[in-house]
Amino acid sequence: MKLKLALEVACFLALAAFVAVLPRFISDFRAREFAIAGMYFIALLGLSILTGYSGQISLGNGAFMAVGGYTTAILSVDGFYGHPLRDLWTIPIAGVVAGVAGLVVGVPALRLSGLYLALITFGIAVSFPQLPKKFDHFFGGTTGKILSLPRPPFGLDTTPNDWIFYLTWGIALVLLALAWLLVRGRTGRGLKAIRDSEVAAVSSGISLARYKTLAFGISAFYAGIAGSLYAIANAYVNPDVFPIMLSIYLVVGLAVGGLDSLFGLLGGAALIYFLQNHADTVARWINHLPALELDPKQPGIPSVVFGVVLIVVMLLIPTGMGGLARKFFVSLTTRR
Amino acid sequence: MLATFTWTEFAQQLAAGIREGAIYAGLALAIVLIYRSTRVINFAQGEMATFTTFIAWSLQNRGLSFWVAFPIVLAIAFAGGVAIERTLIRPVENAPVLTIVIVTLGLALLLNGLMSVIWGGANRQFHGPFSTRTIDVGGVPISVQDIGIVAVSIVLVVLLWLFFRYTKLGLALRASAVNPDSSRLVGVRVGWMLALGWGIAAVLGAVAGMMIAPVVFLDPNMMQTILLYAFAAAVLGGLESPAGAVVGGLLLGVTITMLGRYVGFIGSTLKLPAALLLILVLLLLRPGGLFGRVAVRRV
Amino acid sequence: MGVRVFLVFVAAALLAVTSASARQVATPGVTSDEIHLGSSVPLSGEAAIAGNVARGIEAYFNYVNDKGGVFGRKIKFTYLDDGYDPGRAVNNTIRLIQQEQVFAVFSSLGTSNNLAVRKLLNDAKVPQLFVSSGATTFGRDYKKYPWTIGYIPPYSEEGEIYGRYVVKNIKKAKIAVLYQNDDYGRDLFAGLRRGLGAKAKSIVAKVGYDPTSADVQPQVTQLKASKANVLMVFAFGKFSLQAFNAVSRLGWKPQIFVNDVSSASALMSIVPQKAANGAISIVFGKDPASPSWANDKGIRLFQSILRKYGNGTNARDLKDGYFSAGMATAYTMVNTLKKAGRNPTRQSVMNAATHLNEKGNPFVLPGIVIRTTPKSRFPITQVRLQRWSANAWRPFGKLVSAKPG
Repeated sequence: MKLKLALEVACFLALAAFVAVLPRFISDFRAREFAIAGMYFIALLGLSILTGYSGQISLGNGAFMAVGGYTTAILSVDGFYGHPLRDLWTIPIAGVVAGVAGLVVGVPALRLSGLYLALITFGIAVSFPQLPKKFDHFFGGTTGKILSLPRPPFGLDTTPNDWIFYLTWGIALVLLALAWLLVRGRTGRGLKAIRDSEVAAVSSGISLARYKTLAFGISAFYAGIAGSLYAIANAYVNPDVFPIMLSIYLVVGLAVGGLDSLFGLLGGAALIYFLQNHADTVARWINHLPALELDPKQPGIPSVVFGVVLIVVMLLIPTGMGGLARKFFVSLTTRR
Repeated sequence: MLATFTWTEFAQQLAAGIREGAIYAGLALAIVLIYRSTRVINFAQGEMATFTTFIAWSLQNRGLSFWVAFPIVLAIAFAGGVAIERTLIRPVENAPVLTIVIVTLGLALLLNGLMSVIWGGANRQFHGPFSTRTIDVGGVPISVQDIGIVAVSIVLVVLLWLFFRYTKLGLALRASAVNPDSSRLVGVRVGWMLALGWGIAAVLGAVAGMMIAPVVFLDPNMMQTILLYAFAAAVLGGLESPAGAVVGGLLLGVTITMLGRYVGFIGSTLKLPAALLLILVLLLLRPGGLFGRVAVRRV
Repeated sequence: MGVRVFLVFVAAALLAVTSASARQVATPGVTSDEIHLGSSVPLSGEAAIAGNVARGIEAYFNYVNDKGGVFGRKIKFTYLDDGYDPGRAVNNTIRLIQQEQVFAVFSSLGTSNNLAVRKLLNDAKVPQLFVSSGATTFGRDYKKYPWTIGYIPPYSEEGEIYGRYVVKNIKKAKIAVLYQNDDYGRDLFAGLRRGLGAKAKSIVAKVGYDPTSADVQPQVTQLKASKANVLMVFAFGKFSLQAFNAVSRLGWKPQIFVNDVSSASALMSIVPQKAANGAISIVFGKDPASPSWANDKGIRLFQSILRKYGNGTNARDLKDGYFSAGMATAYTMVNTLKKAGRNPTRQSVMNAATHLNEKGNPFVLPGIVIRTTPKSRFPITQVRLQRWSANAWRPFGKLVSAKPG
């Protein structure tokens, strides 16, 4: 167990060092790409606490990202009673607003379990984009809200992309550390106890309602932060920016990363970004296989590539990258 | 500026709602069948249905009439469903539920892309088995197609019920869904039963696809919205119960149509969220849906 | 003394040469043998089919390149998939500017997707050329966004044309309107009201539908109950098909007007003809699926280009209006580049795009002149009305103006 702790701390420090120096070695635009993957990573951390640790499947965390994104957009464009806020300060507010929304959803979720909950949260993902359309005076309707372009504060001498990169990954590292402390501590043990057996958990004095609702709130908080950053990076929100597929991609990232492996989620986040934006690159790789000639620009081919990669990844590593790493770790530390 | 209330229009809206509901019911039935046998929500159900409908369309294009193409397509759908279970679902059978769900999601994306590549993204006309004429039902013009679609759904439910109730295969299928281990002991080949479940679900989807395509026109995304409604219908009915899926589908179709038409504030923008809210409230009262049973587990 | 003067001259000349070459280097995306244009379009998701616009553009550029390019430079065209998600469109556009170093962004698709990137393109002073959307704002708000220009006639003007037609030709009109409940549908509706003017009261019912609907039959049923004799279909893709279907299934016989975006021949020919016959729409591009253009020079050119230069295209694509629409825009783009001169800069290409006077674009209706000024950034402002009969659109009447007043 000590070895595992040391390994995790080492991983965290290595990640922090990597993040600190990475922009020096990559192009300006790549920094932006890593930043967006970082936003997915933050949302996945939250989803992992909910699904991986407390066992509640949510297909609706994209909606909480939307709540965060819209909070930032409305506060920084229209402001609070006519006083627009600087985008940076809206981030924590977006997290809190989304977190409260999560708590509200978490209460009825107590009564639902398994795939019922999954489908109801999916319903939230489907329904949320309708609200900005209906209440368009407040949310901006399909036209959306146009934010000011991201720029570094305090006269910092970095490009907007590097700024977004450091902002996102700075927040991501803090939230990763918090998540790690959380799942190692009392709350984490409580959540895991609930996931493994509700009956056993309750009989040892764990409050189901408190822990399960809390998990929803925390996961929504993380999603809200991610959505807020996403709105800032794109300087635009409308209902299509947070499509139904976003919620699904998050679950994909979670499954690929490994349900309860915080570091594995890095891989999940990278996959979500990469497959959405670089399906053409993957198609070119696939073309190296014999007897295949995919035209990456033909409508439909990006979906084919995405679908095939998902299926193959899941068949090869059904428990995700985290599961794979754990097997490797176990085989390292157990004597045959 | 809203038109005023007339009984004729109300009857026509009701008919449209019931027809819409019958389609949701068809797909919901497929979802329930797979859930019962494999404990998985199949996100590819919609694309599987559309894919088989495209096959039917190709056959029609080669000059086959609907009723000649129909059994061929059902056979292909069945074989396809079985093949998918054997090759894609089987290997991850014991993985976390989420992993299997992601595989079906990957399948949905793959099929959707394939349809665009093979048949193009354009809307296609699909000739259904029913006339597009209207007939007079008590002074209200109702389309023959709508009546036909509802009739086919009813026939399907009855056939399924007979199959599960009175055939040995149906019994084995039910047994392996409820208690796979005991079923294995009495000699039921559980693995094949699961595949059979997928095959039947694919057939149901194919029928739903071929029924709705003449109304909403065929394109690779035809079933995407309908699948959302079918999920809602299945949950409403209680995920476990075929009868629940049918009732849930019809109820949802009528409710959504009526809410969208007669409740001004809801309109077409909020009808989906409103319906989902109603389902949520219902689930809070009956966590197992309308027809589902909840394993009693007081703690 | 003489030597000194000579040296000063040489120095000055050198300075001029270096600064001239420095200025050339300063235009990203233009080299001695290449001009790089970029675009963000959907190639996956629900709107994937519209991505064919970009493939039509690509084929036309290949054809032009094969004939020597523009002033000896080949046009390189990079288009990226955004799945019709504005967030990804932003990312693509930033990638095009920063990573691909394009000269200009051209013909990106969708209203929100273009709205989302307009500010960042204008801030970076990168031309946002010939936007693939009929939202009026792209041509109208040039003061705030000088680097942006639209292409197709604004949706609101289209609605206005229908309104004016009804006032002039249909007595005792009672109008029912089915519209997509977003900016696009509402633009068309607002235009219709303007065109009707004092007769706006003749709109007896309007119903919006949401793109998440499965079928618009309930909406059409509601409209029919208003006893209207004119039906405006301001819809998109399959929803307009469903509207025709519902009209026929309900045994309703209104005069139908259907907006340009959903009026392709390929769509009209698959709806029940008893509802479709007599429907009215506008037209400005040549529809390759329409028999009326089967022997047209422009459409023949389109098909021969697509056959020879289209990447991975097949027989089905030869009748796809998205490809021909792409070629029409690409034709204008090539003319704009020619007009921008031998050494184009972003400023000079913007200047060219706002001083167009293009006659004889082979892919748009004969007689349409694509004309712009710095204060009128609507390249196509002439359309004709057309009526559907015997399985084809038949244009009628003279060219009508669709120029915002």
